[in-house]
Amino acid sequence: MERTSRISAALIFIAPLAVLVALWAIIVPVLEVRPQIFPSVAAVGKAGLESLIDGSLVRHVMASVSRVAIGTVLAVLVAVPLGILMGVSRGVSAFLTPLMRFFSVLAGIAWIPIATLWFGYGFGAIVFVIFNAVFFVVAYNTLLGVSTIPMTLRHAAASLGAGRRAMLTDVLLPGALPNIVTGVRTGLGFAWRGLIAAEMIATDVGLGYMLFVARDFYQTEVIVLGMIVIGTLWLLIDRLLLVPLERATIERWGLVST
Amino acid sequence: MKSLSLKNLAKTYFDAYKGEHVTAIRDVSLEVPAGEFVSIVGPSGCGKSTILNMVAGFIPHSGGDILVGGVPVKGPGPDRGVVFQSFALFPWKTVLDNVGFGPKMRGVPKARRDEIAREYLALAGLSHAADRYPNELSGGMQQRVGVVRALANEPDVLLMDEPFASVDAQTRMTLQDELSRIWEERRPTVVFITHDVPEAVFLANRVVVLSKGKVLAEVEVPISRPRVWDRLVADDEFKDLSNQVLALVRSA
Repeated sequence: MERTSRISAALIFIAPLAVLVALWAIIVPVLEVRPQIFPSVAAVGKAGLESLIDGSLVRHVMASVSRVAIGTVLAVLVAVPLGILMGVSRGVSAFLTPLMRFFSVLAGIAWIPIATLWFGYGFGAIVFVIFNAVFFVVAYNTLLGVSTIPMTLRHAAASLGAGRRAMLTDVLLPGALPNIVTGVRTGLGFAWRGLIAAEMIATDVGLGYMLFVARDFYQTEVIVLGMIVIGTLWLLIDRLLLVPLERATIERWGLVST
Repeated sequence: MKSLSLKNLAKTYFDAYKGEHVTAIRDVSLEVPAGEFVSIVGPSGCGKSTILNMVAGFIPHSGGDILVGGVPVKGPGPDRGVVFQSFALFPWKTVLDNVGFGPKMRGVPKARRDEIAREYLALAGLSHAADRYPNELSGGMQQRVGVVRALANEPDVLLMDEPFASVDAQTRMTLQDELSRIWEERRPTVVFITHDVPEAVFLANRVVVLSKGKVLAEVEVPISRPRVWDRLVADDEFKDLSNQVLALVRSA
């Protein structure tokens, strides 16, 4: 029962995309759109196949995904402890909240120019941009998560003998986890967009770079291929990794998403 | 099991909204010998929950002493188990892990604390729910887990803050029957806060009536045990005592 409903949900999700591709397959030859303006389905398919065979697509995807993964992991490792500290200490929270507000507006591609000055063109600058995109959202959501844990739960833990360490590992972290997961999901969305922008400017490999270079040669089929890969990869990450993670915490524990 | 003793307990706090100091507890002295069940009743705002929160160590007291087995209370600790009105179960832990939480904090190994938890769950007829999460249980079941979790940590004193106020009337009577049975079996020292007079009388050896931050009266409840609602509901002694306490509360 659950299986069939999942399949039908997937079909409902895919159907509009299939319609879009069908329209594309019809319109481009009918209107005789020039390849320099927009490619045909076949041209994009061919470009995809070629880039798979020569390994360039895999190279670009691996470069992009590894940057996002490393930047995100680093950001979460720093943001979660900071968010918890803000959640338990009113002083720390009062001091850092205005800074968080300011920098969360800046987070993303506004950092690219200075990041390239600090880290040079390439890996470091891009990971830094990803880090910024994820860090502030996750820190803020962690703070939110900790501050929404009912005081009675902390009281209950304390009266059962929990010390500082157990309070952190058994109450604050799991209590904030649904918000942390939501934060990571939102942050990764920002990061993925920031990544493509940063790769257009600050590197020589990656999906953003692939798009940008193709433009110089009027290779619209490579540009569109890149766009499809970028969108599909994000949907896969979101549906196969982030949504199940959110479900596992929020629904299992009966917590309401904030 | 240890005694609890409150000596000239007082609580004043600064009400920022009113801009003045408010006296929540004026002067409360109370002796609860080891193994006794004491109910504290009183109208809303009489300070009964404030007393419990101070004894639990969740809020500091402004004057007097709180002694558990003769030792002054400093902050929350596992010597005083608490059962909350809102249950306060950890939603991310199974029932088994909720009940095993106290032993876990004492450093009891996993296998042994599961054993302890299962033993206490069996006491409340909850063995079948061990692997469920709290949100999968009814309110009555959740509070059974709340009581069992506090008991499984073998506290010196059990503090109960209107524990059955948020379950339906039918379930409440069942829970009262069960708590009465468990108390008769294990004889823990209990302080039970409630605004429900029949509940207070049904469960306790002694009922303390609180009014405006002071003890108005103490009423002994010599009704024989075991106590079950099937018997007490028509018991004249129970009715008389309930009416007596109710009159005191209404005069408060």
